[in-house]
Amino acid sequence: MKKEREVLLSVAGLSVSFFTPRGTIRAVRDASFEVARGEVLGIVGESGCGKSTAAFAIMGYLPKTAEIEGSILFEGKSISDLDANELRSLRGNRIAMVYQDPTTSLNPSMKIGLQVAEVVLEHMDLSSSQTSDRVIELFESVGLADPDEIGNRYPHELSGGMQQRVMIAMALACDPDLLIMDEPTTGLDVTTEATILDLVASLKERVNAGILYVSHNLGVIARVADRVSVMYAGQTVEQSTVYELFDSPQHPYTAGLLSCVPKPPQEGGETTRLRRIPGFVFSSQESNDDLCLFSDRCPLANEKCMTQSPSVISSPHGSEVRCIRSHDVDSDIWGEVEQILGVPQSQSETVLMAEQLTHEYGKHQKKYVLFGPETSTPVRALNEVDFDVKKGRTLGIVGESGSGKSTLARAAVGLIEARSGTIKLHNESLANKVENRSQDERSAIQMVFQNPTASLNPKLRIRNTILRSLRRFAGLGRDESQLRAEELMLAVGLDPSYLDRLPSELSGGEQQRVAIAGAFSANPEVVVADEAVSSLDVSVQAQVLNLLEDRQKELGNSYLFISHDLGVVRYLSDEIMVIYAGYVAEYGPSSSVLSLPSHPYTEALLSAAPVPDPTVESNSLRLEGAVPTMRERFQGCFFASRCPRKLGSICDDSPPPSQDAGEGNGHVISCHIPVKELSAVQS
Amino acid sequence: MGLDRHPVERYISWIGNAVQGDLGVSPRSGASINEMIGRRLPNSALLAFIAFVVAVPTSLAAGIFAGIYPDSRLDRFLSIGSLLTISVPEFIIGVILMLVFSSKLGWLPSSTIMLPGETIMSKPEVLVLPILTITGALFAYILRMARANVMEVMESNYVRTAVLKGIPMRQVVMKHVLPNALIPTITVIANNVGWMFGGLIVVEFVFAYPGVGSLLIMAIDTRDMRLLQSTAMVIASVYAFSNLAADLAYGLLNPRIRYG
Repeated sequence: MKKEREVLLSVAGLSVSFFTPRGTIRAVRDASFEVARGEVLGIVGESGCGKSTAAFAIMGYLPKTAEIEGSILFEGKSISDLDANELRSLRGNRIAMVYQDPTTSLNPSMKIGLQVAEVVLEHMDLSSSQTSDRVIELFESVGLADPDEIGNRYPHELSGGMQQRVMIAMALACDPDLLIMDEPTTGLDVTTEATILDLVASLKERVNAGILYVSHNLGVIARVADRVSVMYAGQTVEQSTVYELFDSPQHPYTAGLLSCVPKPPQEGGETTRLRRIPGFVFSSQESNDDLCLFSDRCPLANEKCMTQSPSVISSPHGSEVRCIRSHDVDSDIWGEVEQILGVPQSQSETVLMAEQLTHEYGKHQKKYVLFGPETSTPVRALNEVDFDVKKGRTLGIVGESGSGKSTLARAAVGLIEARSGTIKLHNESLANKVENRSQDERSAIQMVFQNPTASLNPKLRIRNTILRSLRRFAGLGRDESQLRAEELMLAVGLDPSYLDRLPSELSGGEQQRVAIAGAFSANPEVVVADEAVSSLDVSVQAQVLNLLEDRQKELGNSYLFISHDLGVVRYLSDEIMVIYAGYVAEYGPSSSVLSLPSHPYTEALLSAAPVPDPTVESNSLRLEGAVPTMRERFQGCFFASRCPRKLGSICDDSPPPSQDAGEGNGHVISCHIPVKELSAVQS
Repeated sequence: MGLDRHPVERYISWIGNAVQGDLGVSPRSGASINEMIGRRLPNSALLAFIAFVVAVPTSLAAGIFAGIYPDSRLDRFLSIGSLLTISVPEFIIGVILMLVFSSKLGWLPSSTIMLPGETIMSKPEVLVLPILTITGALFAYILRMARANVMEVMESNYVRTAVLKGIPMRQVVMKHVLPNALIPTITVIANNVGWMFGGLIVVEFVFAYPGVGSLLIMAIDTRDMRLLQSTAMVIASVYAFSNLAADLAYGLLNPRIRYG
């Protein structure tokens, strides 16, 4: 029998505005949601939609300049009516929070045990020995190894995933009634994310609390939430159970968000083109009295949407939507599903090739310079990696952070000089260092970096950034290059008037498109994209991915596309290379790599990737820990220390053979387990 | 003086003696440089020590307050005051203090010239104006550092975590803000010990204070190269040692750079 739903938190008509010298910022406009005991409410939306502000408003933690309207009731009492002491007795005790960035959220100069004990001492009436027992119990409950001793460590001695477990232990310290989690896995590796999500899912069973889970990632929300509230431009636009929301979204924005996420890597079948939401989130500086805030991006918008602010419509079974045309929303409103036709597989010539590419960071250092024990050995970031990129095709490279992906990208471009191995362009060897390459060779390989804000010169107008590379690489004259610059802007979907802007006047997605335009201005044969879409919102990510796809079809460029997100890699890549600790674990056509049999590492990555579908049972294969620092040459298999399918001493003693998966398409797996057995255990 | 020997040879023999603690004899006065410096070093050290003891706790307290309550009335007063103090050179502050407290009010002596038989201890009032002059600049400098560091830490995510743990504000400040804000501040303070020794030269000269600084100026005036060289070296080594002390203190406070 269903128990009586006990509402812990009810937020109604919440709006938060900040008064700044540059005008009023409406971070939250009209948010309403409820969290009941024992359930997880997911709040989802792009960045700038007011999710975090709403979360901090519940904690009563907003700057003094904030003006709050509407009500936030915790167990029927209004948070904003509490005085400082009452608020303090709630925080950490009845309402606790876990934050996005654990590394900066822990006090760097205090042992973690003390940081957790502080909460217990403040709110619970325990003696000091009971407190330390409690802390150990908490560390144990969040799955930290060695709970008795770990409290004596400082935050910097822990990995990001362990730090987040400490934060969760801290939040659970006083058995809170309401737990707020604000993007707790953003910035963590997908393998770590999966273990943290397992922990959150187990909390649901163990603690009798309501959880408010804020995330921009639909896959994560599908995995943890019971009910979902979608926020757009500070408004709650849709609210329903997780199954309903993913199965039949009522609001066009929700439908759009779902359709711009690349298909999960686990799923087979054809790749379909991503649909995208044009435009940007409604500016928080504008007021919102007489229109639907989503109307400027909405394919269903009609005149009524532009002149009248929609009210929330509740359906009989408890879901809510803020849209007058919700009954017209279906999966096709964001465009027809288009199949992506791959370039025929064979007969494509190799453009860029690397043989035995090896790189080390640092030097051998001995205690007394020439003799004595070795005090520092180099980190082996790449070990004899071979790959080739074919014309008009994309090689995707995946792996956790620290696996050597970025080193590989930089070595290919020549930004770092590989210690050994050769890089060939059209079968001709290139110098390993970019300074020693000719102008043509340099323009043939261009790079797009992860962080567009940091990689565009902030003092240079877009025009100058692009013209510089047009003159240098394409050798165009003054007038020609101006024309070409405008063409390039149009090609990346930006208005040529953007040329006269500074990078700071552009959004992140626009900046990344400028960076892509910059890379294409050199007429490159190969574009190396290192996590080029990782910092972008899903709708913008879809735009950039489509852009890359279109350019490739038009111009026949090749991509070396690096990402930790398997879904994104799957979307763009023809071939995939899975890399771990500087070694190639698996390499082959993307459909073969992403389907079984797989290298155990690929298998773990696949099962960790969150699927934006709540009906999919999560695979339980998990990787603990992080990529080892590669100071020692591995005696045996590079993956032996974390392998969930480790055979035994053979894995520690001898390096794995590179086996052909027998599919006749060059699919190679580096593992001691024979391919047949792999497919048997994995299916 | 051995002018018949090669300069390199003379330099090596001087340095050989210097590292053994013998700085030689001043060619001007014929007195032992060791003795001259030895007599004046405690005077300078006393001046620096008192200035330090006065300035550090007060300026830290003021800086921390200003950092926790930015834009409060006291913070504005302190910020503007310290900006003024930093922008005006010490010799002007010294002269102004002299003008007010000695010439106009006649409360304190304007110079520290000692009659034979007098020591600083027997006439402690002579210290007041030099100390005030040095303290002024030091106070302003440390205050601004402490304020900036505290403000930065107050904005940090881990202070947010601490506040949202529900612990009292006092505990947040003592346990989370101060340890992290004081780490860089202490480095600045320790660097200031050396800087103060340099600044002393001017202040000592203005007040005719019998310290190492005025000895240095005297050496310049009389072209006494050997004395000049020795005093400069002493001042430089104080600087170097205080920097070393700063680094060690930093390591002690910051677990991230502590060696295992």
